[in-house]
Amino acid sequence: MSSFEIIVDGLWRAFEIILSGDPEIMGITMLSLRVSITATLLGAIAGIPLGYIIATKEFIGKSFVTAIINTFMGLPPVAVGLFVYLMLSSFGPLGFLRLLYTPEAMIIAQLILAFPIVCGITISSVMGLNPKLKETLTSLNAPTLWQARVLLNESRLGILTALIAAFGAAISEVGAIMMVGGNLLGYTRALTTAIMLYTSMGDFAIAIALGIILLLIAFAINIFLTVLQTKSRTKSSI
Amino acid sequence: MNRRAKSALLLTIILVMASGLLVNSHFGDSSIAKNRLVVATTTSTVDSGLLSYLKPYFDSKYNLDLTWLRLGSGQAVEVASRGDADILLVHDRSREDSLVDAGKGTLRITVMYNDFVLIGPASDPAGVIGQNASVAMATIATSNSSYKAVFISRGDGSGTHSLEKRLWSEAGIENYVGAPWYLSAGSGMADVIRIANEMGGYTIADRATYLALKSTMKENLGLVVLCEKDPALLNPYGIVLLNSTRYPNIHYDWALDFLLFLVSDEGQSLISNYTIAGEQVFFPIFGCPEAIGLPSEEVAVSYIYSLLSVKGMSDR
Amino acid sequence: MSGEAAVVFIELRNVTKKFGAIKAVENLDLAIHYKDFLAVVGPSGAGKSTLLRIIDCLESPTSGDLLMDGVNYEKIDKLSIRQRIGMVFQNPVVFNTSVYNNIAYSLRFRKVPDHVERKKVGDLLKRLQLINLQNRKAITLSGGEAQRVTLARVLVYDPQLLLLDEPTANLDPYNASIIEEALIEANREYGTTIVIVTHDIFQAKRLANKVAFMLDGKVVEYGDARSFFEKPSNPKTKAFIDGEIVY
Repeated sequence: MSSFEIIVDGLWRAFEIILSGDPEIMGITMLSLRVSITATLLGAIAGIPLGYIIATKEFIGKSFVTAIINTFMGLPPVAVGLFVYLMLSSFGPLGFLRLLYTPEAMIIAQLILAFPIVCGITISSVMGLNPKLKETLTSLNAPTLWQARVLLNESRLGILTALIAAFGAAISEVGAIMMVGGNLLGYTRALTTAIMLYTSMGDFAIAIALGIILLLIAFAINIFLTVLQTKSRTKSSI
Repeated sequence: MNRRAKSALLLTIILVMASGLLVNSHFGDSSIAKNRLVVATTTSTVDSGLLSYLKPYFDSKYNLDLTWLRLGSGQAVEVASRGDADILLVHDRSREDSLVDAGKGTLRITVMYNDFVLIGPASDPAGVIGQNASVAMATIATSNSSYKAVFISRGDGSGTHSLEKRLWSEAGIENYVGAPWYLSAGSGMADVIRIANEMGGYTIADRATYLALKSTMKENLGLVVLCEKDPALLNPYGIVLLNSTRYPNIHYDWALDFLLFLVSDEGQSLISNYTIAGEQVFFPIFGCPEAIGLPSEEVAVSYIYSLLSVKGMSDR
Repeated sequence: MSGEAAVVFIELRNVTKKFGAIKAVENLDLAIHYKDFLAVVGPSGAGKSTLLRIIDCLESPTSGDLLMDGVNYEKIDKLSIRQRIGMVFQNPVVFNTSVYNNIAYSLRFRKVPDHVERKKVGDLLKRLQLINLQNRKAITLSGGEAQRVTLARVLVYDPQLLLLDEPTANLDPYNASIIEEALIEANREYGTTIVIVTHDIFQAKRLANKVAFMLDGKVVEYGDARSFFEKPSNPKTKAFIDGEIVY
């Protein structure tokens, strides 16, 4: 089959798979979503408050910390995967947790990738706010948490962008989760690692079908987040 | 940023990128662009280290640069059948034959074999040590009413996977996929061995990858060979020469050189001299596939002998 | 105004503020009395903004003392000081929410009950003529409308001292006049002490009962409005009023 034919065949198959609700594919899709959404959410829960604190507090080594986080935004996923593997394997320090080759290990790896993205972009969004804004809040005597609410609200476009970027990195990640998840059918097989498998089997058409499903998911989540972005402009939040 | 700073930054970026280009063009041993031969082969072949071992001999003899694509069996065949590689070296007889039948390959010859072993935890919970391969598989499957053992499969349609499936069918075991004791890993051989290691499970592995992993992981590898030297565990390798008319862009002459090198006396003895941790892992078998129960390849073999004598590589 | 003892509210004694090598404010003495409407005038860079920021604890002085009701600032915690002060900056900063919510913000974290909040916010919406705009998103307002919102936002928690840094400098006359009326009302009817930094001599004449002239970080002349404008004692003051000092 020519390359073009393979792609078209892939499109057809993607259609068929989605409509038929093939349980194996459904399982793979659910796992991908579960792992990546969890990792992104955890990254947000840790990254947004920490990013806010770093952005608004003056302390020694502030530029250093910010530079470190920005550097970690570009961590190579396979290197992270290797690191997590070494930590979780039975001869590693955290081997007793028996987390290797489980979805939780995959979440950990993706969390390490997502967290700096959310934190770093939160830092730059909050620091990029009009400095008079923080001064106004200070002169109004707003307590810290109330100030945070206003400042985070003002940075929400940036923060939502951070979430979109973090989720995108997570859902498309393959090397790390292959290493720490093992691509076990029914347990740790995600869309990306399934695509790797089918490609290595020479079954390009199914690989493309899975790729299309992955794209549709990424698109759907991004539409959801983007709608949130625009909707939040019309709701008050103080 | 003022103009001077901007120009300085721009100049720095250009210099860095230019130096990157310079480095790349000097990457490798010399500035002479060597002629590159691309072999499509499998992950287990590459991981055994055999090709790295053969490369210096081949490169110096033919003044070529032997390179290889480390792929799953299916993908290796796909890539070759698109003419994206110059030659194919795999251990998947039915796929090799299909290529020749389809006219994509002009010649297919058995070159060597290695063997598989059934490995598992030293404690051997299912008690399969010393058994015949298929008997052992049956034991593992049935001992699992009490889930005493886990079996990890390549699950990737590789040559190894095909062999595993044959063993299951010989053992009369059918519904293993999806069984709680059966894990389909969809990964390469080394990864599957690691998974089995972590879980204390059984798996079928080619001896070469097992030995290679054992020498790097040392005492961290808790798996031992439990069943071996069963005729059903033999794994023959075939080379497929691609059709130069159909794939005009491949380096047919160099590919032929590689094939002749492997089957020549020199190549065959190099293959048998390759060891991992002191053990021979590959066994040359060009010209006598019948010795391991494979069908005769007379026509192809005599054609190759004629080529070899023309090139003065054999005195037969 | 007459017949009332002028009680000192805020006092600055020998206050110097340096930013690196630059002295924004130098050996400054000033007394602000309750119910004053003090205009601080002077050329750019005279240190007027810095003066306000020091009073509101947004900057701390390099040396010198500030006193509130005779008690040194250092002995009072900043929150209590700021609680009694409201500040309006030159460029309005509003929050990304409705006008009503902007104004109510200062009450909400003070945990003011809903019905009180509604009454107070409603009152300020009236005083700054913002009733029609109360549900608009504050960020969509014009500069003048936004500035009215920021003034309402500080007046709503009844500060005793109002500090304004050139609040109408960039505004059209209509909005400027609404603000000025609100300021006059705050001072005359609610007794709020007001310190306004302004470039506009005419505004100072219109609103203030006291004027201070600052030059190079010092108060060069201080006095009640009438004598300041009619008989300035310092020749530099006269030059400024006559528009001879270029700023």
